[in-house]
Amino acid sequence: MHYPWWYVPFLTAPMLIAIVSVLHVIVSHYAVGGGIFLAVETRYAYRTQNRSYLAYLKEHAWFFILVTVVYGAITGVGIWWTIGLASPLATETLIHAFVFGWGMEYVFFLLEIVSAFIFYYFWGRLEARIHQVIGWIYAVSAWVSLVLITGITGFMLNTGSWPRTHDFWAGFLNPQFLPQVLVRTGGAILLAALYVYLHSSFRAKDADLRKLIVRRSTRPVFLGVILLVLGSLGWYLALPESAQANLAGASVLNVLLALALGVLALILGTFYLGPYRNPGWLSPGFAILFLALGIAAVATGEFIREAVRKPYIVYNVVLGNQILPEEIPRLRKEGYLEGGTWTKAFIARDYPQVLSNGKVDPAKFRALSEADRVKVGEVLFMHHCNDCHSGRRGYSAVGSLTQGWTPEMVKGLVREPEKARFAMPPWCGTEEEAELLSKFIRSITPPHPAGMYYGNGR
Amino acid sequence: MDPRLLIGPSSPLGLPAPFGFLQFFKVLGFTLHMVPMHLWYAGVIVAVLLRGQRHEHAQRLGARLIKAMPIFIALGVNLGIVPLLFTQVAYHRVFYPATILMAWPWLGIPFLLLFAYYGVYIYASALRKGGQSFRPLPQTAGWMSALFFVLIGFLFANGFSLMTRLSDWPSLWQNTSVAGAPLGIGLNVGDPSLWPRWLLMFGLALLTTSAYIALDAGFFGSKETEGYRRWVKGFSWKLYLIGILWFGATGSWYVFRTWPPELRQQMTSGPLGILFVLTAISPGLVWLLMLAQMKRATRSFALLTGIAQFGVLALNGVSRQVVQNAELKAYLDVAAERVATQWSPLVLFLVLFAAGLAVLGWMVAKAAQASGRPTPAG
Repeated sequence: MHYPWWYVPFLTAPMLIAIVSVLHVIVSHYAVGGGIFLAVETRYAYRTQNRSYLAYLKEHAWFFILVTVVYGAITGVGIWWTIGLASPLATETLIHAFVFGWGMEYVFFLLEIVSAFIFYYFWGRLEARIHQVIGWIYAVSAWVSLVLITGITGFMLNTGSWPRTHDFWAGFLNPQFLPQVLVRTGGAILLAALYVYLHSSFRAKDADLRKLIVRRSTRPVFLGVILLVLGSLGWYLALPESAQANLAGASVLNVLLALALGVLALILGTFYLGPYRNPGWLSPGFAILFLALGIAAVATGEFIREAVRKPYIVYNVVLGNQILPEEIPRLRKEGYLEGGTWTKAFIARDYPQVLSNGKVDPAKFRALSEADRVKVGEVLFMHHCNDCHSGRRGYSAVGSLTQGWTPEMVKGLVREPEKARFAMPPWCGTEEEAELLSKFIRSITPPHPAGMYYGNGR
Repeated sequence: MDPRLLIGPSSPLGLPAPFGFLQFFKVLGFTLHMVPMHLWYAGVIVAVLLRGQRHEHAQRLGARLIKAMPIFIALGVNLGIVPLLFTQVAYHRVFYPATILMAWPWLGIPFLLLFAYYGVYIYASALRKGGQSFRPLPQTAGWMSALFFVLIGFLFANGFSLMTRLSDWPSLWQNTSVAGAPLGIGLNVGDPSLWPRWLLMFGLALLTTSAYIALDAGFFGSKETEGYRRWVKGFSWKLYLIGILWFGATGSWYVFRTWPPELRQQMTSGPLGILFVLTAISPGLVWLLMLAQMKRATRSFALLTGIAQFGVLALNGVSRQVVQNAELKAYLDVAAERVATQWSPLVLFLVLFAAGLAVLGWMVAKAAQASGRPTPAG
C-alpha cells in the first residue's frame, strides 16, 4: 500500500521473517538463560573454591560469546532487516510506537556486550567479587533486553487499549506482556541447560566434574518448566478471540501445537530420566539429540505464536497485507489501486488510459483487453494477497488452494474473504477490482484433478 | 515518472520526539558507530596485509589489530542500532522503499557480517595458538572477512545513496519488478555518486584505523618494545597520509563531479561553508598531531589524537546529515512531520542511557585496573 511490495517467488516475503526469527530465537534464549547460568555458577564455583569448575565455566563463557555475541546478535539484526523489507508498514508502526523501547533495549544490549567481554577476557585478573558482579550485570541486562522486546512482540498479538489511547505504556504493558515474559524466561532457562549439556559433554573430560555440571544445570530446569507452563496458560487466556479461534481452527496449527506439546513432554521426561536421575548418561550424542528437541520445541512455539495473529501483523492495527484497518472504507470506495502509493504509480505508468482527472477510474478497466485485465488483476494479487499466498505454486499457493473452483466460487471468495475464513483480511477494493483479481486467480487455477471417482460410473 | 509519486504518506502516529532530537541521536549514534566500524572496514585489510609482511613489527601490529577486532565488531554492530533506528523513524518514507528495491542484497548484509565476524574469530584464534596452525584456513578466513566487510560497505553505500536518489527509483522499479512488485534485486550502480561515496567512507576508515594504531601504541602498547612503538608511530603517520590522499581524492570526486551545482553552492557558502571547510581540512589536524607524536610521544598526545579523530568523524557525520536533508528537500520535507512526543518513555530512555553509561564506565575502569595483572594460564 504505502510501500512497494517485495515479491519473493514461491516462498512469499513474510516467510523469510519466520525463517530468520527461528534462526535467532534458538540462540537468543540461550543468551539470557546462559547468562543467568554463568552468573549463578561462577558465584558457586568461587564460593566453593572449585578450580576445575571455574576453569570449565571460563571455557563455557568463550563458547557462550561465540554463539550469542556473534550469531545471536547478528541474527537479531537479521530479523530487524527482514521485517523492514517484508512488513514495512508494520515495522514503521512499531518503530513509531516504541522507538524509545528499542532505545532502552539498545542500552541494555550495549551493557550485555561489554560485560560479556570483560567477564571473559579479564577472567582471573578481576577480583572475584568484581568478576561476579560483572557476570550479574550481564545476566540482568540480558533478561531486561528480553523483557523489553517481549513488550513489543506481545503487543503485536494483543494491542490491549493502545488503538484507542496510542499511549506507549498501554501498548507496552499489553495483556500478552507478562505471560510472554514468563514463557520466554522459562524457555531461556530450559534451553540454557541443553546448551550446557552439549558443551560439557564435549569439553568436560572429568566424569565427576561433568556430573556436577549436569546436576547443577538441571536444577533450574524445573523452575523453567513452571514458568513455561504458567506463561503458556496466560498466553492462551490473553489471546484475542480471533487468535484462539485460529489455534482451534487451522489444522496445521493443531498439528504444530500437538507437536510442540509432545516434544516438550518428551524433553521433560528425558530431563527427569537422564540429567536429573542419571547425570552420568550424558554423552555428546545424547546432548545433541536433546538440544535438537529443544530447538524443535522453540521453533514450533515461535511459528504458532506468529501464525495465530492472522489476519493481522499487529492486532487490530496493521493487517497482514500492509493495510491499516481504518483505510478499508476509503479503499472500497475509491479503489485499492488508487489508494496504494505504488499501485497507483504502476497504473499511471502502464495504463494511463484508465485515469480520470489524475485518479484511477475502476469503470475504465472494462475497456482494457482481456490480457491487460488479467495483468492488472495480478497487480492486485501481489499487493493484496501475496503476503500470505504465493501464486501458481509455492507456499499456500492460491493456484493450489482454488484448484477446480468455479468462477463464481473464486469471485465469492475475493469479494468476502473474511467470511470464508476470518484469518483473511477483508476485500479492500471496488467491485470492478474484485472482478480483475478473480480473473487473475482463475488464470492460475488448475482444473479439477482428473481421474477422481465420485460414483458416477467408471 | 515523477518520483514524488512513489513516496507514501507520513506515519499517522507522528514522530515520537521532535525532529531535532531524532536527528541529534541519529548523528551522534552514527559518529559513535563509525569508530569501531572503521576499524573493521579498513582495519581487517590492513591487519591481514601486515601479517603477510616479513617485518617483525608489522606482524606484531597486525596481530594486535586482529586480536582486538572481535570486540570492535561487537561494539560496532551494537552502536549501529541507534542511527538505523532513528533513520527508520524520521526517514521511513524513503528508507523502506529504497531498501525494498534492493531487498536481496540488503538482506545479504547480516549474513555477510556473520561470516566475516566468524572469519575474524578464526583468524584471531589462530594467532593466539601461534604460527604453526596458521595456514591455510585462517589466512583464507582473514581475507574473506576483509572482502566481506568491503562488500558490506558497498551495499550500505547503495542503500543510503538510493534513499536520497529518488530519481533512480522509477527505472529501477520498472526493470526489476513483477506486476508492480519489486523482486528486490536492484542495485544503485547507475548512480555516479555511489562509487565516490563508498570509497570516501573507506578513506575515512583508513584515517580512523591509522589514528587508532597511534593511540594503541601510545596508550595501550606499554608492554611492547620501544622499537615497536617507534616503528608503529612512523607507520601510522604514513598510513594516515595515504588516508588523507584517498579521502581528499574521493571527496573531491564526490563533491565536484557528482553534486548538483545547487547543492555545491548551498554547502560551500554561509555557515554551511564553514562546516564544509572544517570537514575537509580536519584530518590535517590529526595528521599534525601524529607528526608531533613522532617527536614527543606521551599518552596525552595519543589521547588527543584519538579525540581529534573523533572530531573528524563528528564533522563528517554532521556534514553527511546536512547533505542528506538537502538531497531529499527536492522530494519531501522530512522535518515537516507531525510530532507527538512520547515524554515518559523519552525521559526513561535518557535516564537509562545515562545510567547505562555510568555502569559501562565503572566496568571499563575495573577492567583497566585489572589489565595490569598477569593473564592466568589456560
